[in-house]
Amino acid sequence: MDCNPCMKHQLIRKTVQEFAENEIRPRAAEMDKGPGFPEDLMEKMKPLHYFGLQTPAHLGGAGLDSTSYAIVVEEISRVSAALGLCFTVHNSVGIYPILRFGTREQQQQFVPPMAAGERIGAFCLTEANAGSDAGGVETVARKTDHGFVLNGTKIFVTNGGICGTILVFAVSDTDPAQSSVFIVENHTPGFSVGEIEDLCGMRANPVASLFFEDCAIPADHCLGTMGQGLKIGLSALDTGRIGIAAQALGIARAAFDEAVSYAKARQQFKKPISRFQTIQNYLADMAVQIDASQLLLYRAAARKDSGRPFSAEAAMAKLHCSTTARMVTNLAVQIHGGYGYSREYDVERYFRDAKVTEIYEGTSEIQRMVIARDILTRPA
Amino acid sequence: MKILTTVKKVVDVELNIHVENGAILEKGLQYVINAWDENAVEAAVQLKESHKADTTLVSMGSGDNTDIIRKCYAMGIDNAIHIDDPNLAKADSPTFARVLQKVFEAGEYDLVITGKQAQDTDAGQAGIMLAEFLDIPCVSNVIEIKVTDESHIQVSRLGDEGTEIVDLTLPAVVTVSDGINEPRLPAMRGIMMAKKKKINVMDLAGLGTSFEDVGGTDPKSEIVEFMAMEKRKGGQKFEGDPAEITAKVVDLLVNEAKVL
Repeated sequence: MDCNPCMKHQLIRKTVQEFAENEIRPRAAEMDKGPGFPEDLMEKMKPLHYFGLQTPAHLGGAGLDSTSYAIVVEEISRVSAALGLCFTVHNSVGIYPILRFGTREQQQQFVPPMAAGERIGAFCLTEANAGSDAGGVETVARKTDHGFVLNGTKIFVTNGGICGTILVFAVSDTDPAQSSVFIVENHTPGFSVGEIEDLCGMRANPVASLFFEDCAIPADHCLGTMGQGLKIGLSALDTGRIGIAAQALGIARAAFDEAVSYAKARQQFKKPISRFQTIQNYLADMAVQIDASQLLLYRAAARKDSGRPFSAEAAMAKLHCSTTARMVTNLAVQIHGGYGYSREYDVERYFRDAKVTEIYEGTSEIQRMVIARDILTRPA
Repeated sequence: MKILTTVKKVVDVELNIHVENGAILEKGLQYVINAWDENAVEAAVQLKESHKADTTLVSMGSGDNTDIIRKCYAMGIDNAIHIDDPNLAKADSPTFARVLQKVFEAGEYDLVITGKQAQDTDAGQAGIMLAEFLDIPCVSNVIEIKVTDESHIQVSRLGDEGTEIVDLTLPAVVTVSDGINEPRLPAMRGIMMAKKKKINVMDLAGLGTSFEDVGGTDPKSEIVEFMAMEKRKGGQKFEGDPAEITAKVVDLLVNEAKVL
């Protein structure tokens, strides 16, 4: 296994780092007071194809491979995890299912404005009684002569406050076991956005509830075919997990870098605290976990690019990267002592942002289920 | 309009550079595109966008320059030539200018845009010498290029007493300052496309010349030795009675620093 990045991947990392440091870093702490992203920043990102990372060039995107995609999300998230979240959700669970399951007409109608950043994507599965258990979905799609009518409420929708094109997971009114995914645009009558959630972390991202009240959509807005909901959902989440793993890794690296420089600068007992073995052990543990996360993430991405099944690998990467993000940000705050608990230092934001990576796009418990299922179904 | 632009790979001067026995230690060095050359590439790409110019980049040296060329491709350059010849490792400015002359004559270009100098040697010679060898006009330190018509451009340059505006008949050479533009970050699609583009790599023989032909065996200048700059010593702080301090400072200025 070649662990050295190729020239293209190095150039992508360097390019994104430069943009993130110059354009995002100076505003990241302010954005955290959120919600919402600065308009001019989003405008600058549009021509650079951040909104169409893996979308093919003929639909207006950059056509990146999954490794490049993970690099972009990792580097953006290293500076602002909330903005990284916006991109990963938009690109992976927003656009990807349309590319994978949509008809040619659906791709041509919905993808170009999304890839151009004119319409932000969202994917809504979670409801009050459905999350890890997709079978609990109560949003109903009723078939009519002209198409479908949706009724239901989705909660904790990432990008909810700024979404333009939304993928909605709903069940048939006649057969609750049959689920499908529908494409809804934000100007559709009957669609509305609830209040922005007041969350612990990722505060710049306008996470919101979305309401569908007699929301009528044309028949050709059903993604793929009727009854494909679970298949589309699982496929989208597999891809989404690579993005969230990259995001978690970005957060962990950011916290680690802060911890190292603080440990070198902070003097106690007349020497830098980095000279104490306890702090050195912390730093060593953090570095090992970050390195392992990187290897798992880029293996999953490379596997996806090779066209082989990558579900278990993506779940392993997501599980390990998010656990690492929580552990590393926690130790980074610990190394900073009282200052780490203050909003004046970025590690406090990283600490808050890290936790949710263990929850969304499948909790750590669900990742273990996915991994175990893969182990137990392997041929003997 | 056919534009030739040049890029040089230089040591990243923002990182520590170590000198030992009169030579720069290779270990730990990182290389980047000369910053002024990035301005030249950006200027060329802007002319491509505004006037459908055909842009060709040339880099020279000993060894692989693929990384910096790919970045320029990602920024929007159409074609790239890399003159890779071991003899060029220690060539001087006139030699490089002679090589550029050969490239220019092989491609029949209308305009050459180079950075005003390289950030490693700070010589600022190659572009101007190229114009001299070709016997075509040259303006240095340019901060704006306007296309007047197919065979004329108007440029603004930073002169000693203000901005000077010069009309130029093509073909011509301009060397640009960083004030001309803000080099773009490559778009993601540009990076993906860049890997598919071909780089025309050749040695001096491939260019139809030789190291001797371009004056390499008779250099006009030679780097004899590198020396690290001496570290600045910290200042001294004086505290106490003003009269005593004054006497002490004057004494040091007269007897130690010997500036009074």
